[in-house]
Amino acid sequence: MIMSRKLTWMLLIGVATLFTQCKDSGDEVEADDENELITSVTLTFTEVGTGTVTKFEYKDPDGDGGNTPTKFDTISLKANASYTLTPEFLDESKTPVENITEEIKEKDFEHLLIYTPTPASLLTYTYGDKDANNFPVGLTGTAKAGAAGTGKLKVQLRHQPNAKNGTATPGSDDVNLDFNLVVK
Amino acid sequence: MLVIFSAGFAQNPDCACFVKGIVRDQHSGQPIIGATVLLSGTTNGVFTDEKGRYEIRNLCPGNYKLEVRIVGYIAHKESLDLTAGHEENFDLEEQEVHLKDVEITAHRTDAPSSQPLEILTGSALEKTRGQSLGESLKGITGVTTMQTGSSISKPVIHGLHSNRVLIMNNGVRQEGQQWGSEHAPEIDPFVATRMSVIKGAAGVRYGSDAIGGVILVEPEELPFDKAISGEVNLVGFTNGRQGVASSTLQGGIKGVSGFGWRAQGTIKRGGNIRTPNYFLDNTGISEKNFSLGAGYRNKGFGIDLFYSRFDTKIGIFSGSHIGSVTDLLNVIKNGEPFVKSGFTYNIGRPNQNVTHDLIKAEAHYHFNDGNRLQWTIAQQINNRNEYDLHVPRNDSIASLNRPELTFKLNTLTNDVIWDHKPIAGKITGQVGVSSLYQYNLMSGRPLIPNFNQFNIGIFWIERYVKNNWEFEAGARYDYRTLSTHRIVSRQKVSNDFTFSNASGTVGATRNFSQKLSARLNAGSAWRAPNVSELFSDGVHHGAAAFERGDSTLRPEKAINTIASVKYQSEKLTIEIGGYFNYIRDFIYLKPQPDPILTVRGAFPYFKYTQTDANFKGVDVSADWEFIKNLTLTSKLSYLRAYDTRNDNYLVMIPSNRWDNQMKCTIPEFGKWHNLFVSAGNLWVARQKRVPPNSDFLPPPAAYSLWNIQAGGTIHLSEKQQLEIGISVTNLFNTIYRDYMNRFRYYSDDIGRNASLRIKWKFGA
Repeated sequence: MIMSRKLTWMLLIGVATLFTQCKDSGDEVEADDENELITSVTLTFTEVGTGTVTKFEYKDPDGDGGNTPTKFDTISLKANASYTLTPEFLDESKTPVENITEEIKEKDFEHLLIYTPTPASLLTYTYGDKDANNFPVGLTGTAKAGAAGTGKLKVQLRHQPNAKNGTATPGSDDVNLDFNLVVK
Repeated sequence: MLVIFSAGFAQNPDCACFVKGIVRDQHSGQPIIGATVLLSGTTNGVFTDEKGRYEIRNLCPGNYKLEVRIVGYIAHKESLDLTAGHEENFDLEEQEVHLKDVEITAHRTDAPSSQPLEILTGSALEKTRGQSLGESLKGITGVTTMQTGSSISKPVIHGLHSNRVLIMNNGVRQEGQQWGSEHAPEIDPFVATRMSVIKGAAGVRYGSDAIGGVILVEPEELPFDKAISGEVNLVGFTNGRQGVASSTLQGGIKGVSGFGWRAQGTIKRGGNIRTPNYFLDNTGISEKNFSLGAGYRNKGFGIDLFYSRFDTKIGIFSGSHIGSVTDLLNVIKNGEPFVKSGFTYNIGRPNQNVTHDLIKAEAHYHFNDGNRLQWTIAQQINNRNEYDLHVPRNDSIASLNRPELTFKLNTLTNDVIWDHKPIAGKITGQVGVSSLYQYNLMSGRPLIPNFNQFNIGIFWIERYVKNNWEFEAGARYDYRTLSTHRIVSRQKVSNDFTFSNASGTVGATRNFSQKLSARLNAGSAWRAPNVSELFSDGVHHGAAAFERGDSTLRPEKAINTIASVKYQSEKLTIEIGGYFNYIRDFIYLKPQPDPILTVRGAFPYFKYTQTDANFKGVDVSADWEFIKNLTLTSKLSYLRAYDTRNDNYLVMIPSNRWDNQMKCTIPEFGKWHNLFVSAGNLWVARQKRVPPNSDFLPPPAAYSLWNIQAGGTIHLSEKQQLEIGISVTNLFNTIYRDYMNRFRYYSDDIGRNASLRIKWKFGA
């Protein structure tokens, strides 16, 4: 029975190949160091005149999911005071910590920061910087607190590659945080 | 397999021709019971009785292809010419000699016979040429699609999709990253000459995942010892200005008997899709596929080798990228995408680049006593690269232009199937062992873990045929291990899982008369939770949802009961099927009361949870030739799905639909054959049954689309023919959105699309 012999050989090869393919996918698992996260947002308010610096933070060191954010401060400002507002964005999931603010600055022609207080009377924001196309950026600016009250300050980082036109519409959110805001 | 035909012809020019004969085993000479004998391209088919006899009546004069198939046997096709007006009885000896020359591939249709099997082949399949696999199957009652725009579409059977629908590509279970809603099957439909859908749970024969149904994608058998032949297909679509070219060349080897080969390739290129009012930015597609096959037959022995490569690059509509819930709400409020575009073939970011390689060897041997042994080994390498809309801000990383997500899935499958010789001429059956070994390597943005998976399953199915009854029963046991590896807080975390399951099937078919038959099947199937359901933990940016997996999920199990009645006469064919699919521990995304806070704001939180669900529905299809050459075809798919544990509806269930076509055929017109003109309408209802407050946008309104088609064949010479078809879909450029299209949040669905199809066939 030539055929049976052929068949036996084939079965043997088959059984052999069945077990030769064992690759351990666990050996190849590695941390991702290329994709960027923003894990912390720090808003630095420097009071005009006194130079008093106050910082308010959002922190989620392990990024989306996993553990809940470790810090989400309430912004507290003095009524009718003027501040210089500078935001800072970090990726603390990487070692060393990556400064995203620098990268936003380099690519300011495709980023826009938007600060939206609710109610609007709580704060007035004026952009203090412009990109090469004369559109605002928002990495520095003036925030003038209004009368005492409580509400929210929405901080948005709009990523608008090839579409930035000075308005909020194009692109998508890279940051979208609603800080509690107290003006007293 | 030996097939003996005798074809008889009545003088009546009306449809009173018939075909009858006996189907026997080539080796033992025993009649084969329960073989399916059908006319290709139609649904006209019968089973052989206990003496192997069959008879198909009420045939109009014309050319037919008769096909014979049964579990464990090689399919056989025979051309019949019922135009001649004289009686022709084949001589038995002669026919035997003749048929020995006709070598045929092992082509196993081992679908449970008591379960509804709908086949797309011949002219019905030709009409879908140029479309993706999911789109091609849309015409089948009970089958719909789940879409991400118009270029990515996944088949949905009786409301179930993705990991709940199994695709058997050329006899091998397709293993890609099926869990993703935007991961379409990596198969070139031009490889297939028939695509079949088994509706309902078919876990016994096919193993894990066959909960909603099974799709069989099958090429034609290799042309052993035949002269060189081939075909060239050209398809052009106006929408997306898409062009598709596919050709096949095949034959035997002169002077060496028993060989057959085939080479096939497809190129597809399309640009931005247009909705009735605007173009969708970055929705182009590029595809380059090819396949090679070769085989050898010698007496009872046969071996087939097959290799195919699928390579696609698909642009993802850039307006569908959202960063936060605010982004999504803004685009919904706007009513149309913010991103405007013109036409271009360029594919930018975001896009996906997928290759799928399949290499398969299949060998079988028919023993002289009627036993048959078959062994199939196949390896699949699925390589998926996804590019996000934004390149990294860091220039040195951006310049590498690496995909943000890479999945490499490598799968090795082995199937050994033994078809035992018929017992007492009444019982046939098969026993099989299937194994699967798989590993996944993932890099980039963490989404699913790396994993190693091993599965082994054994099954046993028996069929018994007596008088006009046919019974079927089977059982299966599966055992699976899964090891996952992922990084949590820069540390490697590994988990091990084992799953096991027993499934069963029982079914009966009763032929009441030549015209009326009924089928009943109860089958079970299972599905182990997939890695995305176990370990997802992040924002799904397409859906603006935070999705979290659960590593304690258990396998889900389906028990499906499906019954159908078919009446078939000369002018009228009606098939009514009803099903009740109960799925225990159905895995779904359950909305959680509190949102999850991320740097992009708070996202609605969904967690993979198990419940009990039932899917019940009715499929009705009817063909009525109410005036000579004028046929009305009507198909109705009705489905209701319910979460019985929580007493609520389920999300993402396709809405009910009703498809009507009026077709006028002209069998002969000068040089033309099989000329037809048809007009049709598809009405899709609004999905009213959704859980309250489960979505950002209520399901879209009902819609109605019109289409027209025309086509015909010219015989250029005895061995060459040209088939031409034109069609227009969404004839009136209707604005609509479909509930099962993920882009319904962002944009309208595809507008008018006219197409031209040319097929040149030469040789045999």
